[in-house]
Amino acid sequence: MSAVYFIAVPLLAAFISILNKKVAPYLLLLVSFASITYLGFIELQEVVIGGFEAPYGINLVLDQFSYVGLLIVNVLFFIVVALDVQKYSKLASILLVALAGLNGLLLTGDLFNLFVFIEISGIAAYLITTTNKKPLATFNYLVQGTVGSCLYLLGLIILYAMFGTLNMRGIGTLAADANVVAVAFPFLLMFIGLGVEAKLLPLNSWVKGILGNSNTLSGPMIGAVYATAMGLVFGRLLVNVFAVSEQLQLIITIIIVVSITAGEAMAYASTKVREILLFSSIAQAALVVLLFVSGFTGWAVLLVIVNGVGKLVLFFITNLITEQVGSDEVNALKGVFTNNKIVGLSFTVASLSAIGLPLFVGFTVKMNMLGALFTTGEYLFPAVILLTSIVEGVYFVKLLIKLWNSKNEAPQVTFDFIVKYVVALIAILLIVFGVYQSPVEELANDLQAINYIEGGN
Amino acid sequence: MLQYAAIILLVLGLYGILTQRNVIKIIISLNILEIGLNLFIISVGYVEDGLAPIFTTDNASSTLNFVDPLPQALVLTAIVIGVGTTALGLAIAKNIYQKYGTFNLDEMGEE
Repeated sequence: MSAVYFIAVPLLAAFISILNKKVAPYLLLLVSFASITYLGFIELQEVVIGGFEAPYGINLVLDQFSYVGLLIVNVLFFIVVALDVQKYSKLASILLVALAGLNGLLLTGDLFNLFVFIEISGIAAYLITTTNKKPLATFNYLVQGTVGSCLYLLGLIILYAMFGTLNMRGIGTLAADANVVAVAFPFLLMFIGLGVEAKLLPLNSWVKGILGNSNTLSGPMIGAVYATAMGLVFGRLLVNVFAVSEQLQLIITIIIVVSITAGEAMAYASTKVREILLFSSIAQAALVVLLFVSGFTGWAVLLVIVNGVGKLVLFFITNLITEQVGSDEVNALKGVFTNNKIVGLSFTVASLSAIGLPLFVGFTVKMNMLGALFTTGEYLFPAVILLTSIVEGVYFVKLLIKLWNSKNEAPQVTFDFIVKYVVALIAILLIVFGVYQSPVEELANDLQAINYIEGGN
Repeated sequence: MLQYAAIILLVLGLYGILTQRNVIKIIISLNILEIGLNLFIISVGYVEDGLAPIFTTDNASSTLNFVDPLPQALVLTAIVIGVGTTALGLAIAKNIYQKYGTFNLDEMGEE
């Protein structure tokens, strides 16, 4: 029972799947499902690779934080893959590599190893986005992603020169005692570098090209699965590694506030469903980083999970409709849900939960998050969140009203039985945990207690 | 000294990515950026008059003036990743050319 299998098995399966294209899709489903099952049997642990103890070797850390992360990412990954595997069976090998990369991102306890997994999952992501048939957008994504990871690498090398270790916990402990101004520069470089995949300013202009032209695979995969994994990686670094000085705090604050307000404003101004969703997810990503920086790990993780699940439903349904209607202009899709009530209701539940209305799990998270932020005595962030929530509410409700009502004939869209079943199930879960709040609060409190990564020094 | 050269290359690469409008030239700029970065990593482990970090019968003591081997291992990985990204970038560039018939971003008439 070792956590290495989460990375090794998908990688091995990826190589095997190249040899036999016919079994590749089945192998993908099998490995992805086995990964979730394996989580049920494994216990929390730290794996030392090759017998070299940290800080000399690489360690993988399976603590409660990465356990929750692995669970949600693997489940979301499996849902996306299961719904798309027939249509995109050619991409099976790449998706296996993506799975290995994503699991590695969540497990690793070493900064350079994290860089390698960022690149592995990044290259898989570029290949997944080639299915959009927009090579220019993919190229843009590739250039920004590579520049971002170069900045991250530069930052971590400066840290290595300063402290002589690449172990996350080692750097975390050493940086806490070091001169905060001196470590601010490498941390800023790493923050910006990771911000590319996490959709934070300044390097997030790829999002519009990629998610604005996405399909049923690339939309949920990049918009939900990757976003969840990167959000959690950000959390790991912000909570366990970075020593946030006042200067760095100021820069991060500006990035967050601008990301949230710009994201919500752009979403409000958009007339295309996919653009509304992608700009809203930029704002949500910034919100997650804000919670991690403020030290509310538990609620930040829950926000990541709720966002990931919600965005998966929203992006998947939107892309299915877009493929059949041929446009994602809101006006072209008027009344589309009148003939598809189950899918429409699920879409409605997911978007109402994203706004944070009562009875949905999004409300629990938003309410507690605001409560926690108010206790810090800092009123800028709650004010920004409340204001942008109003904007968010307005554009989502406007969107929903248009999608449910039409004077003219509504576009004809059909959904598979399995799609209806999956989205309805997710919607029901969003409501159940919105009403029955205690498990959500318990999980948040458990995660809040994690202050450092186990193992390493 | 090596570090200055590395930083100049880094900035040069970044400048190229921001200013060039040709897809191939952007990929070349990306490579210059990566080379600068790799040089920088090597320079971190550099020791004046250092020895190659290999135990031999002549150099059998760990107190000798060895060069730090870790950055070299890191660079090896970074180079491989860089080559992978470049290959993928060129493949996408080929797709772009097939779709638009040009490598110039200004002539594509699309965002």
